[in-house]
Amino acid sequence: MSLADWIVLVVTLLSIVAYGLYKSRTSRNLDGYFLSNRSMPWGLVLLSIMGTQASAITFLSAPGQAYTDGMRFVQYYFGIPLAMVVISIFFVPIFHRLRVYTAYEYLEQRFDGKTRTLTSLLFFLQRGLSTGISVFAPSIILSSLLGWDIIWTNLFMGGLLIIYTMSGGAKAVAYTQQIQLFIVFTGMFLAAYMVVKMLPADVGFSDALQVGGKLGKLNIISTGFTEKGFNWSDQYNLLSGIIGGFFLALSYFGTDQSQVGRYLTAKSLKESRMGLLMNGIVKVPMQFLILLIGVLVFTFYQFNNAPIFFNDVQLKKLEASAYKDSLKIVQGQYAAVAVNKQQAVRDYTMARHAGEEEKETASLASLQSLQKESDSLRKKVVFWLNKKVPGGDGNDTNYIFLRFVVDHLPVGLVGLLIAIIFLASWGSIAAAINSLASCSMVDFHRRFTKKKDSGEDEYRLSKWYTLGWGVFCIIVAMFTYNIGNSLIEAVNILGSLFYGVILGVFLVAFFFKKITNSNPVFWGAILAQVMVLFVFILTKIGVFQMGFLWLNPIGAFGVVGFTLLLDQFVFAKKS
Amino acid sequence: MKEIDNEKAPFFKSWNSWYILVIGFLLLLIILFFFITKRFS
Repeated sequence: MSLADWIVLVVTLLSIVAYGLYKSRTSRNLDGYFLSNRSMPWGLVLLSIMGTQASAITFLSAPGQAYTDGMRFVQYYFGIPLAMVVISIFFVPIFHRLRVYTAYEYLEQRFDGKTRTLTSLLFFLQRGLSTGISVFAPSIILSSLLGWDIIWTNLFMGGLLIIYTMSGGAKAVAYTQQIQLFIVFTGMFLAAYMVVKMLPADVGFSDALQVGGKLGKLNIISTGFTEKGFNWSDQYNLLSGIIGGFFLALSYFGTDQSQVGRYLTAKSLKESRMGLLMNGIVKVPMQFLILLIGVLVFTFYQFNNAPIFFNDVQLKKLEASAYKDSLKIVQGQYAAVAVNKQQAVRDYTMARHAGEEEKETASLASLQSLQKESDSLRKKVVFWLNKKVPGGDGNDTNYIFLRFVVDHLPVGLVGLLIAIIFLASWGSIAAAINSLASCSMVDFHRRFTKKKDSGEDEYRLSKWYTLGWGVFCIIVAMFTYNIGNSLIEAVNILGSLFYGVILGVFLVAFFFKKITNSNPVFWGAILAQVMVLFVFILTKIGVFQMGFLWLNPIGAFGVVGFTLLLDQFVFAKKS
Repeated sequence: MKEIDNEKAPFFKSWNSWYILVIGFLLLLIILFFFITKRFS
């Protein structure tokens, strides 16, 4: 990175920390620290909800996903608008009426203390670990691409935000998220503009879409149905997006304290609802645009030489293995195909402009055939890394966009894009440690300590819990480095392992008023959790195949089903 | 659907109109995406 990039990066990050500290003043009690005195307008609530959900991986992974697999990933978000409506109708009024600090507090009022403790613990397990990975995932990418030391990168990624999160709690988190998102969107817009600008002079935005589309990258809607019926192992299609995505979003936005804590800061029920509903409106178009950047990057690489694999660290592992000669041959073939592809794509766009249909069809057929050839060569490298190289990782999706940024964007913009990775991470990590601290304080400390603390004492202790969770997440990030890259993928699935069960408990609480005994729902949740883990293990060992999004409805319906059965046949007799 | 609370919805007469707007917008996007997929495939 150049000096100008470093200046842009350091000034941006320090400005955010300073702004967070400036906005830290709040009343010295739990209402002020965790709920911003319930004073936020819906615009801030919306940005806070968006900033919490969008991590660095969102901005790194989505363009890479579109590059490799096309835009069908957007279907993953189709469940969000539906979930926003359901949460606005059923969840938010209850949380506001009871004036709870955490979602789990409601479960004690509805059932009992042990059900509250169980769901809080599941939240700790899932959110604590995944936040640690949220520190590690962007750090390892920056470390690999720029040669930075992973320990220092982890410390900056997870450490600087603790300063303002500890100092100002939910208020500082919300105000910094607002600025962070503004910078993130500005940077992403500039990156998209630059990709189109760097295409050959006679190739415009519509040509870029045409090329991307004809090479299969604008596959936004897919049904998941094949000649053999519905493909359950297909991760992203209309059905899994709407049903699986709905349950995932319902659990995440309705029962995960990192999100519930954002809309509880709203000054009224109306402001909470507006924040959530506006999120339902803007989220899908936002993801669409981020994915579109990936398609533009893909088109850019049709006119320019693309690396055969975007993670250099992994490529070096392959170069050092027994496959180094095979790699050289494949790289030579890949480069030769790239030259032919560049000619074919130029012929195609020129024929389109000239309206020469026959030439257009012929050059397109040639381009598509060369792309297949190019893909199969890339697949060889992926296969060697996945199967033949010890410690190899054949997934370079997260590296594609940033590698493009570092290799092709002008000085200054590179620093801004690197800053965006930090800011996007900070937004979600800050909200997560704030929510972990609120659960520690409200769901555990307050309930299990005999001494009654004053508001000021609780405020002070909450700051220490915030610091503690921040340090915990950095430690998890450091251990993740020792374990290896594959854990990132596993932790992406972590949410789906636990969210469904937590949601199931809330569904019973909201919709099955006749269940008043707490034991059926408590044991139902434990049985459903075991069932979800069992199903997941079966998919992992290959007994059957199923996309991880389906674990969410399985967990939720599992809790409801087990609860009704236990209530009817086990606990009814006892009572 | 019965209004659960007495806080009025902004811009519309009721919250139900907001819910319809959010779901309607999603449907519109899906239809638009479907046509984009068809157009460029």
